[in-house]
Amino acid sequence: MTTFDQLWEQEERQALQQRLRQEYPRWQRARRVRHTAVASVAVLLAAGITLSSFHFPLSTRNYDSVACNRSGIADSHWAAEASRILTIETL
Amino acid sequence: MKRLLLILFPLLLTACSHEETELPLYQRYASRQDLTVAQVKGFLLNDTLKTDVVLLVADDSATWAELKAEFDIRTSEGVTSWMGDIDEPARRVKRSVRPAWRAMAVHADRTVAFYRIDTEAQRQALLDYQMNTIDNK
Repeated sequence: MTTFDQLWEQEERQALQQRLRQEYPRWQRARRVRHTAVASVAVLLAAGITLSSFHFPLSTRNYDSVACNRSGIADSHWAAEASRILTIETL
Repeated sequence: MKRLLLILFPLLLTACSHEETELPLYQRYASRQDLTVAQVKGFLLNDTLKTDVVLLVADDSATWAELKAEFDIRTSEGVTSWMGDIDEPARRVKRSVRPAWRAMAVHADRTVAFYRIDTEAQRQALLDYQMNTIDNK
């Protein structure tokens, strides 16, 4: 004979299953969106790091790095000087 | 997620490991108060070849005279160029010696520029660079 507790438990289980059936697709969708967002940020970060580290051909910079014993002079100035002096020499 | 971190971590390490290394020639002159000293690493000669450049700029004519004496520059106008020893750039070496500095002293600018030559390809690229610059004018 089925007791009250058993009936109650059965009801609860059924209610839970029904809720799970309703909610599960929504949870899945939310999880997919979260994963896609994380993956997109990671890909963008990786692309940014790669571009800045390996000087993608789109970059117009014609040097890797510059050091100078005086502050306040733009790095590009020295690359331009290195180029200009070659021109003077030829002319 | 873990896989993404595995990809990102080495990339971050690579980006952070791009530390500046000073060339010995730059280090030798960087502490001089009467000179403006610069180094350009990876100066692009063409699509694939790069070289390192060190520039010494004398702040006044007295310093320029000193620099000229130090590098045994006997002319007083135009541009003086020579191939210099990699450790002692003042010492002239044959064109075939590698590595070496291709030095150019510009009197009007009180500047000496040193272009590092490690290979024949770099020497050729340097010449091509000069020729292309003329062609583009």
